[in-house]
Amino acid sequence: MLSQENDGPVCSPSGYKKADDEMSGATSSADLDEAPARTIYLNQPQQSKFRDNWVSTAKYSVVTFLPRFLYEQIRKAANAFFLFIALLQQIPDVSPTGRYTTLVPLLFILTIAGIKEIIEDYKRHKADSAVNKKKTIEMLSVNFGYNLLTFIILYNNLIPISLLVTLEVVKFTQALFINWDIDMYYPETDTPAMARTSNLNEELGQVKYLFSDKTGTLTCNIMNFKKCSIAGVTYGHFPELERERSSEDFSQLPPSTSESCEFDDPRLLQNIENDHPTAVHIQEFLTLLAVCHTVVPERQGNTIIYQASSPDEGALVKGAKKLGYVFTGRTPHSVIIDALGKEKTFEILNVLEFSSNRKRMSVIVRTPAGKLRLYCKGADNVIFERLSKDSQYMEQTLCHLEYFATEGLRTLCIAYADLSENSYREWLNVYNETSTVLKDRAQKLEECYEIIEKDLLLLGATAIEDRLQAGVPETIATLIKAEIKIWILTGDKQETALNIGYSCRLISQSMSLILVNEDSLDATRASLTQHCTNLGESLGKENDIALIIDGHTLKYALSFEVRQSFLDLALSCKAVICCRVSPLQKSEIVDMVKKHVNAITLAIGDGANDVGMIQTAHVGVGISGNEGMQATNCSDYAIAQFSYLEKLLLVHGAWSYNRVTKCILYCFYKNVVLYIIELWFAFVNGFSGQILFERWCIGLYNVIFTALPPFTLGIFERSCTQDSMLRFPQLYKITQNADGFNTRVFWGHCINALIHSIILFWFPLKVLEHDAVFTNGQGIDYLFVGNIVYTYVVVTVCLKAGLETTAWTRFSHLAVWGSMLLWLVFFGVYSAIWPTLPIAPDMLGQAGMVLRCGYFWFGLFVVPTACLVKDVAWTAAKHTYHKTLLEQVQELETKTRELGKAMLRDSNGKSVNERDHLLKRLGRKTPPSLFRAHSVQQSVSHGYAFSQEEHGVVSQSEVVRSYDTTKRRAEIE
Amino acid sequence: MKNKTSFPPQEGEARPSRCPDNSAFKQQKLPAWKPQLTIATVLSSFFLIGAFCLAVGVCLVLSANSVREIQIDYSDKCSDCSKLRENSSNWNKECHCSVNFTLKEDILGDVFMYYGLQNFYQNHRRYVISRSDAQLLGRNVNIQKSYCAPFTTYRNGTPMAPCGAIANSMFNDTIDLFYNLNSSVIQVPLLRTGNSWWTDKNVKFRNPESYNLSSAFAGTARPPYWQKPVYLLDEEDERNNGYINDDFIIWMRVSAFATFRNLYRRVRRIRQFADGLPAGNYTFHISYNFPVTKFKGRKHVILSTVVWSGGSNPFLGIAYVVTGTAATLAGFVITAIHLKLRKKKTYFQK
Repeated sequence: MLSQENDGPVCSPSGYKKADDEMSGATSSADLDEAPARTIYLNQPQQSKFRDNWVSTAKYSVVTFLPRFLYEQIRKAANAFFLFIALLQQIPDVSPTGRYTTLVPLLFILTIAGIKEIIEDYKRHKADSAVNKKKTIEMLSVNFGYNLLTFIILYNNLIPISLLVTLEVVKFTQALFINWDIDMYYPETDTPAMARTSNLNEELGQVKYLFSDKTGTLTCNIMNFKKCSIAGVTYGHFPELERERSSEDFSQLPPSTSESCEFDDPRLLQNIENDHPTAVHIQEFLTLLAVCHTVVPERQGNTIIYQASSPDEGALVKGAKKLGYVFTGRTPHSVIIDALGKEKTFEILNVLEFSSNRKRMSVIVRTPAGKLRLYCKGADNVIFERLSKDSQYMEQTLCHLEYFATEGLRTLCIAYADLSENSYREWLNVYNETSTVLKDRAQKLEECYEIIEKDLLLLGATAIEDRLQAGVPETIATLIKAEIKIWILTGDKQETALNIGYSCRLISQSMSLILVNEDSLDATRASLTQHCTNLGESLGKENDIALIIDGHTLKYALSFEVRQSFLDLALSCKAVICCRVSPLQKSEIVDMVKKHVNAITLAIGDGANDVGMIQTAHVGVGISGNEGMQATNCSDYAIAQFSYLEKLLLVHGAWSYNRVTKCILYCFYKNVVLYIIELWFAFVNGFSGQILFERWCIGLYNVIFTALPPFTLGIFERSCTQDSMLRFPQLYKITQNADGFNTRVFWGHCINALIHSIILFWFPLKVLEHDAVFTNGQGIDYLFVGNIVYTYVVVTVCLKAGLETTAWTRFSHLAVWGSMLLWLVFFGVYSAIWPTLPIAPDMLGQAGMVLRCGYFWFGLFVVPTACLVKDVAWTAAKHTYHKTLLEQVQELETKTRELGKAMLRDSNGKSVNERDHLLKRLGRKTPPSLFRAHSVQQSVSHGYAFSQEEHGVVSQSEVVRSYDTTKRRAEIE
Repeated sequence: MKNKTSFPPQEGEARPSRCPDNSAFKQQKLPAWKPQLTIATVLSSFFLIGAFCLAVGVCLVLSANSVREIQIDYSDKCSDCSKLRENSSNWNKECHCSVNFTLKEDILGDVFMYYGLQNFYQNHRRYVISRSDAQLLGRNVNIQKSYCAPFTTYRNGTPMAPCGAIANSMFNDTIDLFYNLNSSVIQVPLLRTGNSWWTDKNVKFRNPESYNLSSAFAGTARPPYWQKPVYLLDEEDERNNGYINDDFIIWMRVSAFATFRNLYRRVRRIRQFADGLPAGNYTFHISYNFPVTKFKGRKHVILSTVVWSGGSNPFLGIAYVVTGTAATLAGFVITAIHLKLRKKKTYFQK
């Protein structure tokens, strides 16, 4: 028996474990962390030889292939067992089934496995990558005893030797289907999806937890100035369109790539030209964007490239440039801009640096007109705190900020203040004093900035889009419908992570947020316990809550004693976002969930910092085609876009799972049927170990006569179309919860097989018992009975495969009918070869006699019918009583096909109505819980986010002071 | 590779596109037939299969019932003989007995005579393999290599012909049938040949080549339990002697069951017996050689006719009736469920 790893309902269907193979060298990334210190001797040859940096991820070379491969194969318990059986069979007079009936299939299997290994290793050689998985199948120990040996050999096929081969081939083909999928091909980088291992296909269908990196995975890592609100007027904001976009069915709408990713609203410039009442504000706003930053322009030919340590600032400067306020040059003490054709120079007096504490940055400039002015941009709350009483547009701006935030845009408030010479000079004195302080200078400086950043006048707000990859929100919505819990693990800041959470619709405004930011173990424990208590009975269930935790707190939350309550809390939330986490923490989180929750985890990422979690998760997915290849090279599957995950999981994963389980169950079924018959026969022959069938008929049962149906089930079976799988993500739950393969289903199949074997054996036995079956009175022998039973078995088992098949491709027909035909042809030939070839004397003349026997033909109808009528009746009764979702979808598919596509296009068509009805029914959510604990922040987010390097060796102001782009430009010219 | 041909490679494009083929096979969009379990197809097929099976079943049962069969257990009727045979030292003492029976009606048609054994495990593994098919082909083979042991050679090295446990245990009773008509006793003419499979008689069993049969078997000895050597199995008919003796061939086809019957003779349809066996008194004259008390077995002699469908066994018919009933019942149950839940089923039409 295959032993299951898990006791619970979730079983890895084949008993295959994902584990690193200790035989193959560790991967390159692992080596990096643990490199010991090296001593380098100067001016002399190195005394110790270090390992070169040649990375070999392939498993075999030409020389090592055979010994290593054989060792690997024999290490598999199943193969060792079969080798043992094959050896036992060599003892003369023990085996009832001949000497070579196990050895030959074993060699066949090893050959197949060898070919597969060669192909996969060839790929590894080519890609120079490592996929190290090993398979283990554990078996029950086998008792000894000479008399028992016979029985062991007789029943060894209950562990179907062919199952392993079939699975190898099936999974390999499934992997090919992933590689071949044109929907997962990314034309821009010419990257098709790649399954780097074929052993985890079915786990793709069981994923319950998805851990995703943010940058490069969810987002393109491109920031765009998208919208703004200036003096109470929004630009680039079209709420009507947005509302439509957010409506139910994503598939009806064009993908988000097609929409403009740049700021595009002609009204803004028109308002300046037409002297709109707010024209002055608009100009001031754009000037601020062009002046207040730490970006350095680099001129290459005629184009200016902005070097920004903050992508947000880069986006703003580029946005201003597009609107005619071009930042052209920087000197140590000034900024030169080209404002609608007029060159203006702003003297930079001070740069009040950004810090995540301050959440704002300002510059103090002397305008071309000679006025002193402070330009400030920052988070809404800090800016609003510092606005002067005269400041206008506060309410409108706040309202706009809320809109922007809903869409997950990164917002900054923009304000300015005019300074008087006196007050500036006073402040400058304080500032100069502070900047020479040695102790706590950073903090003192911040306090000092505080003094002058006041009485601000609000100009408006900017909204920057951290551009998501195409189709990300749709994919996430689909995955959520498929009840996959999504955790975002990012190194980014909380605000950024939150914004992405909103923009990819992982979090909605209606969701409550739990923010956990603590800086001690006790505080963390207290906070987590408090939240858990507040949840009360809802703990452990899924609540409409998002948990946001940062890496600092996580350090404590992941410690042994707090871990459980953190996990309890996290698992009760619909979404979890971990920000500012280190690569190690990423893999720790994955590891924790993997160990404590009996579920399949998947990690997806693109960079080197995701390698850990990709390797830790059950299934690792790498985003290929971008920056480094580390993530791809350590992953099990590589796809070019996050959105392809949808198809990878919902279609390929679910299908593969279905197929593999059907294949396994069917293989067990057909072997139980055949070999239990031998058990029944043992009752008749005094447990002597005599077999009812000819030995090679048994030997070839799995190799030829019933070999094809498992392949067609494993390769071509599809319960419903790809479109339906994607349209009804709820179908994923079937595979996710292992409804198709659990202990109950397994034993159900075994019991069914048992019943079939009873019918298949005892019916013919009782019919032939009196030995008068021919009209010429001639008698029969044991093999005559055996061949009739065997024929019935082949027919029944093939038809059973037909029953299991929901989509009959031409290959299914070939497998079902072809297998029967194969047996018949073999039977005919095999019954005529003695004594021409010295085998099968008992078979001589059997086919002729069997086919001449009237009982045989009568039985050929009634025996498979009796077996299968039961199965069909059971299924039909269940189907009539209650249709599962799958069956409803299947029915819908048939109806849609019958009605034709014309009906589908017709919006009043019945089929469409039905689909909508089903969609609505599925879309209906459980009513939102009324529970709102006081600890849960029902916060209205305004979407502030800003990233900037902090606490660098060189401060931002020093950086900007060290450039003089005008000089360089002059030199070049 | 379609891409290569349809799009000429563009400038600067060094390698061909890695875009997968958009074929139905690779995109898993092969046309497929998707059978649906609609209530109409399910019910119609269930009732159809049910009706068909019931009809066929009734026919089969009726025809099996029309088979005439007489089975007589003679293992105890010749009690003296059975006791005599318990001691193997009496192997060469002849023992005869007779068994009377009466036919109240004629048995018309071909009548077959079988001998039946009960509790004789011909299907035991060690027994089944104990034979040399190469030897039975008339080839001069080294039977030591076969599974014939311990019935391979005598101590002096003389090989047994035929070797093996199956051959050694061959059924060697002789049964003759007499018709007692008005105090005259007529021996019923019985056919000894034509009772075995054609392939056995003509391909699988061959006598060794020689100028006569006894010389062909020179240097071999009869199996220990046999009363006469293999070349004396039928002294009257050259083509029924040696390995190609029908009784021997039939015995060598081992049964799947511990209780079995083998065809022994067919009534030759001539004279009074042209139409079968007429009603009247009959006697079996049995030369009792085969011991059954050792393994607590029974011996029968059976007279039987056959019909188009086979012998007297009604099981096939019963199986059809049962299957037919089950299918019909299932049909009714599904109908009941369907009718009860019809409202629920019209979900989409609402």
